[in-house]
Parts: sequence; C-alpha cells; structure tokens
Amino acid sequence: MLLEMKDVVAGYGNITALKGISLSVPEGSIVTLIGANGAGKSTTMKTIMGIVKAREGTVAFQGKELKSEKAYQVVREGISLVPEGRQILQNMTVQENLELGAYQRNDSQIGSDMEKIFERFPRLKERRRQYGGTLSGGEQQMLAIGRAVMARPKLLLLDEPSMGLAPLVVQQIFDVIKDIHKTGTTVLLVEQNAQKALQIADYAYVMETGKIVIEGPAADVAQNPQVRAAYLGGRKSS
Amino acid sequence: MEDFLNGYFLQVFVFICINIILALTVYMTLCTGQLSLGNAGFMSFGAYTSAIVTMHAGVPMPVGIFMGGLMAAFIALIIGIPTTRLRGLYLAIATLGFGEVVRVVALNLKITNGALGLSGIPSMASSLSDYASDWGLLDALRLDSQTAGQLMMCIVLLILVILIMTFWVRLEHSRIGRAFAAIKADEHAAELSGINTVYYKMMSFLFSAFFAGIAGALYAHATFFISPTDFSWHKVVDMLLYCVFGGSNVVWGAPLGAAILTIVPESLRSMAEYRDTIYGLMLVALMAFRPDGILSADVMKWFSNHHKKQNSRTEKGE
Repeated sequence: MLLEMKDVVAGYGNITALKGISLSVPEGSIVTLIGANGAGKSTTMKTIMGIVKAREGTVAFQGKELKSEKAYQVVREGISLVPEGRQILQNMTVQENLELGAYQRNDSQIGSDMEKIFERFPRLKERRRQYGGTLSGGEQQMLAIGRAVMARPKLLLLDEPSMGLAPLVVQQIFDVIKDIHKTGTTVLLVEQNAQKALQIADYAYVMETGKIVIEGPAADVAQNPQVRAAYLGGRKSS
Repeated sequence: MEDFLNGYFLQVFVFICINIILALTVYMTLCTGQLSLGNAGFMSFGAYTSAIVTMHAGVPMPVGIFMGGLMAAFIALIIGIPTTRLRGLYLAIATLGFGEVVRVVALNLKITNGALGLSGIPSMASSLSDYASDWGLLDALRLDSQTAGQLMMCIVLLILVILIMTFWVRLEHSRIGRAFAAIKADEHAAELSGINTVYYKMMSFLFSAFFAGIAGALYAHATFFISPTDFSWHKVVDMLLYCVFGGSNVVWGAPLGAAILTIVPESLRSMAEYRDTIYGLMLVALMAFRPDGILSADVMKWFSNHHKKQNSRTEKGE
C-alpha cells in the first residue's frame, strides 16, 4: 500500500470531523473519496498532509508513519496536494507558481518538467508571464495541478478539482488527471462530482458525517442503490 | 561645499542613514508577511549592549556594534519561537508588548542607569577623527577634527547602508527570497509547496532584529546618550511609517521613505507650530493617493523596463 489510514480521528477544536477513517491507496491506482458537503473529505486530505493532526489512528505512507510530520515534510516524502479553491499565488506569474512547486527539488530536470507541463497545458504556456490572479478559474485549476506535479509526487491528492468550473473544463481537468495517472502517479481524488470521479477511479470510498459508509471497486460503488440515490440522481429516474 | 559640511547637515545625514536601516528592518519582516513591531526593543538591546561593553569593558567600537546586533538577534531567537507562530494583528500586538517590556526593564535596571539613561558613550565621530588624524588625513583635507569625524561617520554609515541594501536585494533574488515571497503571498500554499514556513519566518525575524540591534548601536555611538524613552513605541511607529510611506512592497521603499520623512520635519523647523500638522497631512495625502506607498511593484517594473529599453537602444547604437 502506498498510503494507509487506520482509524483516524481528527478535527478542529471541539469538532470531530473524522470519526475513525480507514482507507488505503494502492500504488498505481486512482482512488476516489466522494460524499456531501461537510462529510470530512477535505479534512481527510488535510490530515494526510499534516495540516490537521490526527488525534487517534495512524497515517502511513510507503510504510512510514507520518504522524509528527509537518506539511512541508510530507511534500518531501512524495505527497502533493492540489488544495480546494486552488490557492495559487495571485501576485506571481504562472512560471513562478510552477517553479515554487519544485521548491524542495534540486535536480536538473526542473526545466524539462516545466516544459512537459506546458505541453499538457498550452494555455499556461501562452500565459507564463502573466500573474496567476489574471487567469480564469479553469486555468487556475490547471496551474494548481501543474504546481503540484512539479514536486514529482508519488501520490497526488486532488481536493475538488472540478469545483466551480464549466462542464467542458471539468472534462479537460479529468482528462489531465487520467494523463497524470498514466505517467505513473497514484491519485487520491476528492470529488462532489461523483459521476465523473467514479468513471475514472479504480476504487471508491463514500463518506458521510466523518465516517466511511460504503467502499468498493468504483464500478460496484457506481451501481450501489444508495450511492445512486444520493449522488448520482438515481432515484429521480426510477 | 563649506556650507554643506556644517555639523547640522552631517547630523541629519547620520540620522537618515540610521533611519534607513531601521526602515529596512521593518521591511525585512514584512517580506514574509509578518508585521513585527518589536524593533524598538531590539534596537534598545543593540544600543545598550554596545554602549555598556564599549564603556565598561573597553571593547573596540566596531566589535561593540556587532555584539549589539548579535545580542538583539539572540533575544529575537528566544521571543521568536512563540511569536512567529502568531499572525497579523496578534503578532503586531505581541511584539509591540515586547518592545514596551524592554523599555520598562531598561527604566528599572541599574546597568542601564534607569530613566537617567547612559551618557558619555564613546562617540563614533571622534574615534573616527582620531584615526583620521593618525593617518594625517585631517591636514590633507584641511578640516577641523569635529567636521572630519562627522564626515567620516557619514561615509561609514552610508557604506553600511549600501552593504545592508545589497545584502537584502541579493537575498531577495535567491532561493530564500523566493520562499519569503511565497510565504508573504500565501503561507498555506507555500507550505504545501514544501517550504518550511516557520524556518523562513524565523530567519527574516532574526535578520530584522540583528540589523535593528546594529542600528541601535550606531544610534548610541552617534548621539553618545541613550535613555529608555528613545526606544518607545513611538519609535516603532516612525520606522513603520518610513517603510509604508516609501512603499512597503519593494526594498527601495524603505530608504526613500526614511529619507523623506527624516528631511521633511527638519526642513520644517522654522514653522515649528505647523510641523506635525504638515507631517500628518502628508501621510494622509499619500495614503489617499498612493495606498501602496510611493514606490510599488509596478513602478519598479516600469523602471526596469525603461532601463532595459535604454540599454537595448545603446546596444543597437541608436
């Protein structure tokens, strides 16, 4: 297992957002975590990154426990997060944003990696000298993904990459995620767009109020009547 | 020439240089998005340390000044561990409180001579003029020892300012500077890119304290008299104003703001009653018309583009 969470309890102050989460991400897979607002999906991501500390349970990456590691150390271990709401640096250029993603690297391939990202996102290449804040929502999302990929992660965490984007752009983003996966990066995808997420994922977890309620191969989860009713609009059609 | 070499102008120049360093110390923490208002406290650590070791222990002045900086940085290391975890207003209040605590402690300690302050601190100007007369410079320049001393102090301070500016500009263009800029833009995003934000925030805090200590020590040797009231919160407000007035987003804003805001009150001495009013009006006007200060990032960009164009023109031989 590349990533393994066992009985993780975490939260903010008095609020317990995760009430014993166990999930595992095998190397080379796309795993998705779906669920409604407030189910604890983003908190799960933050706990993996060490932004939120787990009160109980363990998070292990490649067999190594991440418990006391800070976010920047987790990045060095090989996990990158594309945060919810993108969080690109508005006052820095596209290129500077990408360079920042490679901050903890000092190999000689940073330049060629950036060229690869520009190949994948030609829009970013056109705008490489523009400030991040002048990009459209979809372009900002591409930049945020590009920045995370610049760190050469073994595991890429994506927190609602389709949020607030037009359907056509959402399709592009999902194509890119598939592309990145093909180059050998394992992906953990948090989504509200369950339909799209289940299409590209190998395995899926469904969260509700801080717990995992359903899990299984993505195709099975997509057929699950409860999931269909709650997330895929199944009840309406029947 | 004779007119400009009078003691008054030279004294003002000395204060401009010291104020530039102080403005830079505020800028240094702002570089990582931290508003630290403890610089008067660090300044007083530098001033008292250097004054005491040069007066009582016979330490040479340059060493004393350096020790002042180190002392301030050491204190910053201790108080920085809790305070750099604070953000925004909380950090500002905590560091402001630190500055006031230092002032009250200095008021009550024996070694700082309490409210009476320390007097008879070795003068930088006179020790420099001693060197000059040893080398026979005074006779060569036909200057009296007092003017020569002050003139040399101006030169030494100017060189220091240039060195500190160069150091910081180079730092901003390094890997460290990139990390600073990223933390300032978005601390969260910076950390997610693998930047150890606590480490870099602490680093800028230490640099700021170190140079504030140096500035304090220079102040002590320039005025030969220090008392706790020299390092009150009013001093921090001044430093912050220099930095914000000149433009707090670019390194050149600090020296510009410090120079203007040191010269203006001096030049308004003749109308003493209206001085503070005019000073205040200037600040209000600036904030109304240029909220980012005189120099902002786009002004600097315009300058550098202009410069590049001219260079390319001369290269083409036009």
